[in-house]
Amino acid sequence: MSVETQFPSDEPDIDPSMGEALQAHKNKVRLIHTAKIASVWIALVLILSIGLLQLRFDPGYVGEHYGFVMQGVLTTLGLSVASIAIATILALLGALGRLSHNSIAQGLAGFYVSLVRGTPLLIQIYIIYLGLPQIGTQLQSLGFAHLGKTLTLTAIQSGILALSLNYGAYMTEIFRAGIQSISHGQREAAISLGLTEWQTMRRVILPQAIRIIIPDIGNQFIAMQKDSALVSVMGVWEITYRANRFGRKDSKFMEMFILAAALYWILTIVSSWIEERLEKRLAHAYER
Amino acid sequence: MLMNDNAIIHVENLHKWFGKLHVLKGVSFSVSPKEVMVLIGRSGSGKSTLLRCLNFLEEPTAGTISVAGDSITTAPGVKLDPKKILAIRLKMGMVFQEFNLFPHMTALGNVIEGLVTVKKMSQDEAIAMGEKYLSKVGLFEKRDVFPIRLSGGQKQRIAIARSLAMEPQVMLFDEPTSALDPELIGEVLDVMKQLAYEGTTMMIVTHEMSFANDVADRIIYVDHGEIVEQGEPEKIFNHPSDDRTRVFLRTFLHTDQSD
Repeated sequence: MSVETQFPSDEPDIDPSMGEALQAHKNKVRLIHTAKIASVWIALVLILSIGLLQLRFDPGYVGEHYGFVMQGVLTTLGLSVASIAIATILALLGALGRLSHNSIAQGLAGFYVSLVRGTPLLIQIYIIYLGLPQIGTQLQSLGFAHLGKTLTLTAIQSGILALSLNYGAYMTEIFRAGIQSISHGQREAAISLGLTEWQTMRRVILPQAIRIIIPDIGNQFIAMQKDSALVSVMGVWEITYRANRFGRKDSKFMEMFILAAALYWILTIVSSWIEERLEKRLAHAYER
Repeated sequence: MLMNDNAIIHVENLHKWFGKLHVLKGVSFSVSPKEVMVLIGRSGSGKSTLLRCLNFLEEPTAGTISVAGDSITTAPGVKLDPKKILAIRLKMGMVFQEFNLFPHMTALGNVIEGLVTVKKMSQDEAIAMGEKYLSKVGLFEKRDVFPIRLSGGQKQRIAIARSLAMEPQVMLFDEPTSALDPELIGEVLDVMKQLAYEGTTMMIVTHEMSFANDVADRIIYVDHGEIVEQGEPEKIFNHPSDDRTRVFLRTFLHTDQSD
């Protein structure tokens, strides 16, 4: 494909419409570039599809069970939204702890981050879902009936707790970096006006830090949608569990897992798009 | 050393160590109400640190600081009472070299932040007060503008309004024009001259010698963490008694002109 690179005028003197012409040319080049990239994507999807069909991939089966797996999308999204919300609160507390001058707060936050980041998410899910009830039973026999029962969580509750704790630890570092990126002068200006340390954090530092952090929270949310597949091991009826159920029964693993993968992919593409728009809007905040 | 009973600021034997570095070596001085005191000296002489110690942005290592009836004496190992520090901070406004406006608040938002959060004023009261001080620095029409849309000189004038709105008894200026493009310095100095004329008590760290000459009641020359010499501008600039002051002024005024 050849690109038109001729400008409307070859004259060396400055034409007032030159800027517009340049812009139009730029837009055209960009459009062609985007179109080329899109054709590469389409070609790749076509090649993969044809290959699979040649190898006895059964699209009819996907069509039949599409709706069933699709019903898991809401569960996956719900899990992710609830978990990212709780994780954000945990991360804020964690970051304040890590940055605190109080040795107990620092110790607690440091321990939390190290423990959670140092162990696999799958193990954390098992401990919360299968391990805690064991302790709960023990507590019940010791006479702490209420506390014992509380420790026996449903699969959904366990999933949200595990994802929140896990992402909260990683996001603690994101929050900490965001808070530390705000110039020291901001704090000095606030405290010299008479704001307390906490007022300074709440009114001056955090509003600026959170604006910097939001794109990272978005990325964490996208990553979490995919990590939430792990809660299928507890039988939560989200995308992966639903796909596995039929795939296993009819030995149609490829069909069902490709379907599940496609659903996750679409979810993340949509989330990324929303995240990008949000980021652009944030970049133009405070401009009036 | 000049000491008087009606002093609004009284500093005695102030020491500051940064690790092994002895930055302030037992500085003592007083400032009278309505006095404009200008601190001059080389960069690294300790003049900014001195100013920052007064409202405890830097914690002094030892010494006594009294501001309008509140007094804090400290020494190594002494734990300071945050309430006492707050009381002193509220009596002083601070203007920084880098303005340090809050970028997520409008000009008015910046000016009323302390009124609402610290003084617990109602929104209406605070806005009326904020508008008054925005007008005072000539920027009422920028009330709803965010700092990113302001020039350096405008930012610094808003920063001055933000400090003034808290109605402190003393204004501290830490090199308020050093971060400004030359053509923007004048508007900030004009606001400060106006304040001086109205009888605001001020302590100013600056390299603007002709401005210092115009507004200062007293010049203090600081070198290596000590007050070398102080007096009226006429005396310091024209008849300095100490050799160090003479050398500083000669090299400084020379480089100033060649800049």
